[in-house]
Amino acid sequence: MSGETRGAVEFRQVRKLFGGFTAIRSLDLVIAPGELVTLLGPSGCGKTTTLRMLAGLESPTSGKILIGGQDVTRLPANRRDVSMVFQSYALFPHMNVAENVAYGLESGGMKRAEARAAAEAGLELVGLGGLGARLPAEISGGQQQRVAVARALVLEPQVLLLDEPLSNLDARLRRRVRTEIRDLQQRLGFTAVYVTHDQEEALAVSDRIVVMREGEIAQVGTPRELYDAPASEFIADFIGEANVVDAEILSVSSGQAQVRLGAMVAELPARGLAAGPARVALRSNALRVGGAGEAGLEGKVATSAFLGDHVEYEIESALGRIFVIDDESDEPLAPGTAVSLALRPRGAALIP
Amino acid sequence: MNKLTIALAGATALVPAGAMAAELNLICSADVVVCEKIVSAFQAGHQDAAVNMVRLSSGEAYAKVRAESRNPQTDLWWAGTGDPHLQAASDRLTEEYKSPMLNQLYPWAVRQAEVSGYRTVGVYSGALGWGYNKDIFAQKGITPPACWKDLLDPALKGEIEIADPNSSGTAYTTLATLVQLMGEDEAFAYLKALNGNIAQYTKSGSAPVKAAARGETGLGIVFQHDAVAQAVAGFPIVVGSPCEGTGYEIGSMSIVAGGPNPDEAKIFYDWVLTPEAQELMPEAGSFQIPSNKNAKVPKEAPDLGSIKLIDYDFATYGSSEKRKALLARWDAEIGGHATE
Amino acid sequence: MSLAGPAEAPAPPCLHSQARVMSQDNRRLDYTLAGALAVLLLVPWYRVRGGFFSFDWPGELAGKHDLWPAMAQAVTGRWQIWPVLLLLALAAVQRLVRAPGAARGRALAVIGAAGLGWMMLEGMSIGLRGWNWGLLETLFGAAAGQPAFGAGALSLGLVFTLLIAFGLAERGALKGDAFVLGAISVLVLLVATFVFYPIVSMFTGAFQDFDGSFTTEGVTRNLIDPKIWSLSCLAGGYCGVAWRTFFLAVATATGTTVLGLAFALVATRTGFPFKKSLRLLTVLPIITPPFVVGLALTLMLGRAGVVTQWIETLTGFELGRWLYGLAGIWIAQMLSFTPISFLILIGVVDGISPSMEEASQTLRSDRWRTFRKVSLPLMAPGLANAFLIGFIESMADFGNPLVLGGSGGVLSTEIFFAVVGAQNDPARAAVLASILLIFTLSAFLAQRLWLAGRNFATVGGKGDGGRHALLPARVSGPVTCIVVVWGGFTVAVYALILFGGFVRIWGLDHSLTLEHYQRAFGIAFDGGVRWTGVAWNSFWTTMKIALLAAPLTAAVGLMTAWLIVRQHFPGRAAFEFALMMSFAIPGTVIGISYIMAFNLPPVQMTGSAAILIACFVFRNMPVGVRGGVAAMAQLDGSLDEASLTLGAGSGRTMRRVILPLMRPAILAALVYSFVRAITSISAVIFLVSAKYNMATAYIVGLVENGEYGIAIAYSSVLIVVMISIIGGFQLLVGERQMRRRENGMKEARA
Repeated sequence: MSGETRGAVEFRQVRKLFGGFTAIRSLDLVIAPGELVTLLGPSGCGKTTTLRMLAGLESPTSGKILIGGQDVTRLPANRRDVSMVFQSYALFPHMNVAENVAYGLESGGMKRAEARAAAEAGLELVGLGGLGARLPAEISGGQQQRVAVARALVLEPQVLLLDEPLSNLDARLRRRVRTEIRDLQQRLGFTAVYVTHDQEEALAVSDRIVVMREGEIAQVGTPRELYDAPASEFIADFIGEANVVDAEILSVSSGQAQVRLGAMVAELPARGLAAGPARVALRSNALRVGGAGEAGLEGKVATSAFLGDHVEYEIESALGRIFVIDDESDEPLAPGTAVSLALRPRGAALIP
Repeated sequence: MNKLTIALAGATALVPAGAMAAELNLICSADVVVCEKIVSAFQAGHQDAAVNMVRLSSGEAYAKVRAESRNPQTDLWWAGTGDPHLQAASDRLTEEYKSPMLNQLYPWAVRQAEVSGYRTVGVYSGALGWGYNKDIFAQKGITPPACWKDLLDPALKGEIEIADPNSSGTAYTTLATLVQLMGEDEAFAYLKALNGNIAQYTKSGSAPVKAAARGETGLGIVFQHDAVAQAVAGFPIVVGSPCEGTGYEIGSMSIVAGGPNPDEAKIFYDWVLTPEAQELMPEAGSFQIPSNKNAKVPKEAPDLGSIKLIDYDFATYGSSEKRKALLARWDAEIGGHATE
Repeated sequence: MSLAGPAEAPAPPCLHSQARVMSQDNRRLDYTLAGALAVLLLVPWYRVRGGFFSFDWPGELAGKHDLWPAMAQAVTGRWQIWPVLLLLALAAVQRLVRAPGAARGRALAVIGAAGLGWMMLEGMSIGLRGWNWGLLETLFGAAAGQPAFGAGALSLGLVFTLLIAFGLAERGALKGDAFVLGAISVLVLLVATFVFYPIVSMFTGAFQDFDGSFTTEGVTRNLIDPKIWSLSCLAGGYCGVAWRTFFLAVATATGTTVLGLAFALVATRTGFPFKKSLRLLTVLPIITPPFVVGLALTLMLGRAGVVTQWIETLTGFELGRWLYGLAGIWIAQMLSFTPISFLILIGVVDGISPSMEEASQTLRSDRWRTFRKVSLPLMAPGLANAFLIGFIESMADFGNPLVLGGSGGVLSTEIFFAVVGAQNDPARAAVLASILLIFTLSAFLAQRLWLAGRNFATVGGKGDGGRHALLPARVSGPVTCIVVVWGGFTVAVYALILFGGFVRIWGLDHSLTLEHYQRAFGIAFDGGVRWTGVAWNSFWTTMKIALLAAPLTAAVGLMTAWLIVRQHFPGRAAFEFALMMSFAIPGTVIGISYIMAFNLPPVQMTGSAAILIACFVFRNMPVGVRGGVAAMAQLDGSLDEASLTLGAGSGRTMRRVILPLMRPAILAALVYSFVRAITSISAVIFLVSAKYNMATAYIVGLVENGEYGIAIAYSSVLIVVMISIIGGFQLLVGERQMRRRENGMKEARA
């Protein structure tokens, strides 16, 4: 084995049944060393099962799992070179913070004093130096979260697994901590597999996102690819709440398609489609709201909501009811106002 | 054993084997207090032998000796009513042994040995009778009964307890005694009449007199030594002996055939027949009559000389066929349901 | 891939872990096989009569063939040991020749199963006297007899069990967790040996003649016995014992449910001033040796009892001995079991959401209508539950019928006398025990299957504010009256228990004395302490055995709970159900089945302390399991998983994470099993021996001998001991620690 495969993860035709229920149909996935990959999907899609199989907390019904080039399919959790941050943090309430962090090191046979020193270093790393003597119940939720991360990281695992690590934090803290995690991952260069159901979080932290649906991979790609080129309506809807509308491809030349959207015609990447009826994903920021009579699609405001830095509209148009965000005007338009919608240069994509 | 066995035995013999303590595996079928008293007294005089004592009822003891017959684990079986000892003797489960103490024993104890071909011997005996609560009798103005027939006195209605012969050897001895005394049909007629006076058929043989002692009933039909024990304990119990004659039990002792420690068994056997050993029993609250003529009879014990004993046929009434037949008839005609 | 490396050079972690796995697989196998070899060479294969731990046997090895270890037995002609040696050799070959993995795992598991199977087969087939069954003798010719299994054989049984577990672990079962697999295998072996084998032995015992040959005579005779089945009491005669017991159980269950409900209602829904002290009642059944209530009743209501005498002198009316029989047992059982029913129903009554009652009141219903139409129907499943538990308790009760039995007795006492009396009829005991078992198991199944999911109580429902409606006046009046009367009666009975020990001779000489306490617990000081009291012997034995049994019970119970809650092994549900079912087996049945199972080889334990300990452990285990499951359910499952992903094995997880967090549950299990070991009688009375006599059995003996004074003094001491243990436990665990732990849990989950 070479150093290059350290931290690599591979699922080969992994299948998992719970009784008669198929949790994972057939999963093939390769994760490169040093990559942060997010498993994203609605609840029940199999993302947590995938993570737990990687951790060794569930065994696949068939197929193989490789970590660092080694087959670990039958290896129990405590003998895999991975560590995990739990949704509930799972800090041991009867041990203080330092003991929690040192726990895994001592399990691996490290001397107590050594382990304590390493634990203190780990706590410094997440900015919690000096809190080692506190009990988990005596520190804040955000601090608990960082203890959980430190506890997993001090083991210097090949792969760090994070199971919805931010779901118990409030919105502001969530943004800060996810940046910290991403930062830490970039700095230390470990492989990380991150489970979440929050697409914004996924877009923010990931090198690549694996979107899962009903036990299968729906699409794999960088945040950019998923956003700009959703492979299906499901992806389009799940990543960035797109309006999916009927359209017609008029012609295709050198990879660019002329697409008719109601009264408008737009040029979009053809994505291998030929002329004929098609579906287009329109992001909420893909359309600009203009006054009635301007060029574009005619519509009428159905609902509007003022949200501080932007206004959300639902606009009734020939393409159906469309959700649009307007961050240019301050004054929301009243329902019933006639408007026109113009296509912006970005935010629309054909769905194959 | 083949050569290897011998070799192994030789090898292990080289190991300094410590003190090879003598052992005696004893089944004791008497009351547990008596068992412990006897064993500790024996140990005091024979410190080189370790006694492993198990207390088992005589029925259980017989079952155990029989179950182990091809690989006996027990050396000696002391006390317990005579029937199962005789049964074991006739099954050749026990060893013939003529103790040098035999000539010191009462004739009834020696006869027990002779009947069995010296495979068992009498160690104590007790006659059947009753104990009544003199306070209750005085209070209710009942004349104390002197004979079996007096127990039918209507004044005693609801005042008599006796055990159920299905569960109690004492009650079975009573049943067999009455049958031998009166003849079977007459005995059952008598029991049927007596049933009208019975308050309760208890499970344990000595329970009736204990109930009488505490004033829960007026009179209990039991072995006389059980009644004596209550009187000695300070309860207002008077011991009665039926004028028509009465049955008795002979507590016995047998050496198990092929037991692992025959020599120790014989030491205990001879010791327990000495007057000194036999005089220990009253101290433990058992007032049976010892089988050694020289043993002091506890002064509380009923004098066997003044009791009219029947010529109890242990062979016939100890046999399981007879037993089954009598019990079946008892179940059918008496049924164990008192007139509560 | 090269295996060399990890020791000399810092290898890449994945290689390191892989090698570590293999070496762990091999190391545990090495230890096990080395242990097996040592046992084969050094430890006596068969049972040592003086007790293995007396260590008298090394000195006697030379003379006694039966003391020799397996290897010596095998070369001197005990052919039944050869397959054991062969299988172990095969296991060793597997270890040396093959690398760890699925193939070797399968082989090891097969070897383990074959070894266990062979040992069971030969152990059951060859008894003390040779073949146990005539058929085998005709087939194979005569065989030499063998004593019961001893330390050597039992260790080897354990080795084979571990081989199965390790084999399965290498095959990757349960994520390859050898600790969990080992625990499950050993538990299944233990439960099979100490719960199911005895019951099966009891049934086979019913079909065996004196000498072991097959017969149906005893069973058929007893099955049709009118003394068991007669229903003639409906026509004025006497009913069989089965029906008497059944009717008694129904009456007791009805009575205790009604009384328990009354107590629960008063404690939660009235302005009754002593509500707090009412709850103290629930402790009573835990600390009261089972026959004590019956005993106190005789002193009170027996023919020579205080109350009886008092009424007789007052009215001149002769009450007689009505107490002895079903009426007396019924009253004693009502006294004994009402607190249990109270304990159940207080949860039920409390658990009904107050908003239901408030809703009813806002819908124009008065308190009476609310009570009748809403509260009572919501309590119905809880009442049925209390009824069934009262039924089972009454059926299983042994102490009270023993003291107050009268002529007829009930099933549990009839079983006892079928074995210990002159009858000595195991077939009868087995038939009676089966009948009793059918009754209690039906009630248990009814409770589990029919009642499951019908509970309307909304226990622990947060956010359901509001207050319970007070009882309507027409209910609260009579109910309070019942509670005051019955509570007063209960207090009087217990006062009598404590007081009775100071009276010279009850019913005869009521002068006060310390004589009974002196006789029971006298201590002399002449050059050292001498325990002269008659009770000391059984008292210390009881304490020792209870102290040994309590940690084992807690350990086995909590380990089982952990496996049931956290490990998803096949057959888990069935395993849990079977365990819980064993709780419904009456103690008398356990006692008789233990005697039948463990009196003869292959496992001979009667007369030892071990049989008492085993009985306590497996009889009280279901409670430990239940407590453990409840405590475990409050622990976030991710705590275990976190520990696993942090590299700790299951054993370390258990030790470092689970156990510390479950300390209160562990202490509770310890105290409960300790106290139960002290108070139980029904199973114990079959299993005590001269050497190991237990307090309760000794007290029953005293009662039988009419020594009421000492019996009561002894019982009072036991009650005081148990109260101080429970009180000390409360202090030890204390509110503070509990709260801190709960806070910790809440925070961790928040």
